[in-house]
Amino acid sequence: MSQILKREVVYAFTGLVTVIMFVDYFFFVDGWGFAETVRTWAVIVFNISLGLGAVQLLRQSAMNIQRKRSNYGFSALLVATFAIMLLTGLAGYAATGQMTDNAIYNWLFNNMYTPLGATLYPITGFYIFSAAYRSFRARNIDAALMLIAGCFVILSNAPVGEAIWPGFATIGEWFRFTGQIPGMRTFAMVGSLGMIAYGFRALLGKERGFYAGGGEE
Amino acid sequence: MAYPTAMWDVIGLWTGWVLMLMIYSYPLYKENPVYRTAEYMFIGMMLAINVVTNFSNVVRICITPMMGGDFLMIVPLILGIMIYTMLIPEYRWVSRYPVALLVGAGFGLGIRGTIAPNIQDAIISTITAPSDGGMMAWINFLYIAVGLICSMMYFLLTFEHTGPLKAPTRIGRLFIMIALGAYFGNTVLFRFTMLTGRAQFFLQVLKLIPM
Amino acid sequence: MSFTAKLANIDRRVFYWILFIALMVPFLSPIGFPLSVAENTRDLYDGITGDNVEPGDVWIINFGYGVSAWSECHPGVTVCTKALFREDAKIIFMGPHYDVHLTYNKLQTTAAADFAGKVYGEDYVFLGYITGGEAAITQLASDMRSVYPNDYFGTDLDDIPMMADVNGWRDIDGVLSSDTGDWGSYFLRQWQGPHGTRLAQIGIAMLGSTGIPLWLAGNYFGMSVGSRGGAELEILINELGEATTSMDSISVSHLLIVIAVILANIGVLTERRES
Repeated sequence: MSQILKREVVYAFTGLVTVIMFVDYFFFVDGWGFAETVRTWAVIVFNISLGLGAVQLLRQSAMNIQRKRSNYGFSALLVATFAIMLLTGLAGYAATGQMTDNAIYNWLFNNMYTPLGATLYPITGFYIFSAAYRSFRARNIDAALMLIAGCFVILSNAPVGEAIWPGFATIGEWFRFTGQIPGMRTFAMVGSLGMIAYGFRALLGKERGFYAGGGEE
Repeated sequence: MAYPTAMWDVIGLWTGWVLMLMIYSYPLYKENPVYRTAEYMFIGMMLAINVVTNFSNVVRICITPMMGGDFLMIVPLILGIMIYTMLIPEYRWVSRYPVALLVGAGFGLGIRGTIAPNIQDAIISTITAPSDGGMMAWINFLYIAVGLICSMMYFLLTFEHTGPLKAPTRIGRLFIMIALGAYFGNTVLFRFTMLTGRAQFFLQVLKLIPM
Repeated sequence: MSFTAKLANIDRRVFYWILFIALMVPFLSPIGFPLSVAENTRDLYDGITGDNVEPGDVWIINFGYGVSAWSECHPGVTVCTKALFREDAKIIFMGPHYDVHLTYNKLQTTAAADFAGKVYGEDYVFLGYITGGEAAITQLASDMRSVYPNDYFGTDLDDIPMMADVNGWRDIDGVLSSDTGDWGSYFLRQWQGPHGTRLAQIGIAMLGSTGIPLWLAGNYFGMSVGSRGGAELEILINELGEATTSMDSISVSHLLIVIAVILANIGVLTERRES
């Protein structure tokens, strides 16, 4: 019985939810109230599940501190910043319903979290630069085509390309509006077909990787 | 936006500037404790913001309606809590139910929605002959049509790419390389624009350019 | 060691420093390269101006980008907000990033003159943060109040005049999704596909590759691609702003990367000839 609860009922539940979404789409022009309820549930579960990563990372950090593993000081810093942000945010929320109404939370958010986030993501720009230098080389016809398309698009995206030679803009535009279309449409179509195939395999219980433990225990 | 005048705003601005340099110390110098400090602080803050923001969202769309009499909202609340059994090995299987809800809804919505724009409209757009534009429009039309067929054939992974499939799949690969090249070109614009934004901030804080 | 081998072994940090400095120089000494407007950007602008927008139309602007992508997406969003307000359209602002309120605050600065003549709750509303992926966007189409019972400031949607009759896709005349990720495709799959809602994207440049085929197929009525698209929109509305300012920096950095690629390939060609 427990094995059925752990596997078959779960697969059936997944299938049921999927079918509800299909029925809502294909049979109800004005929307099916029950499907809307299920979707709202999914949104709420999604919201709640977002805390899972935080719990797991905090557990890991707490263990690092407890066992004094290498760099445990950084783990302590992580926990401390988490605690300050959490408490100030909750204080703001409890007071007015807005986290940002707490002056400390708001200051930390605007002047620490935001600039950190706004800098961490863009540093990949540096790596793009060195990656282009080191690997964007015309070693064969495939790489040469990629290189040519890339360079023309780069030069047509930047106004300087057009200023040097108007042809850069014309050719770059051709790559954007025509040259890349077969490949990009293929990616979209293959991705969609892949999602459909994967979805049906999951409904049949053949794909189980996304269930915790891969559905094995 | 003008340069701030209030003390805490100015301190905040400079704090952001220093943190930016702490992050930049990694690519411009090497992995170092200063970078790590900034990185761990960011993760700690992001986790807390994640928790409080989503907590307030759950209160807004679930708990408040439940308190108002919509008792059915207890179902997603319980399902949401069940997902945390993922952290307890002996009860991990319980978390499969909320995952099943998310996956089922994801597949259902994704599959039903993707067919029209990503398959049907793409095919229609590809096979619609140009109504004007002369010779070049026809060449482009044939380029896209042939390119799409060949690129799709490249993804026929159930057959070996030999015999009659060899030439079209080889050509398909070339079309894909062109698309990847263009994609790289656009990636460069995105990444550099983000860096540009930071360069601007760097100079603004130093009052070298207006805010 | 040959010159080509030396070229290949340059420390990556040399490039990073060159790029770091090169990005800043054009801000100190602007160049001002001319800029042409792409067809996809013109379609976007035309789609939100003139006969395509009636006074009182309700549009959604989705801030699908955080502060890190302000330089990419925000100029385009600013122009679109100005254009829609000037057509007397009503706008619902929302977004899936934690810092969505900062983006909303920034918009009030970058489009200050246009916000000045508008009244909150009657001409525009800010719903705040949304999460839940595709399910949330689908719910937004069928029952907005299930994901947004109130606006960002806690006011019940029923108490906001412009939201009184707005609760789903039928009440929305168009969606502008400005994205760094998937939210535009959620609107595509759950709004444009099934309901035919007018949809356009103000995306990061990478989304230009995936979005242009959708614009050509008619799924998007227009598309702005990255900061370049933002600069083009600024030309179209005739108010140069942040994106136009950043174009010189973009030009210099793009030229640098092309020079680097050419140098690297000269090395490859020389090596091949030598061998």
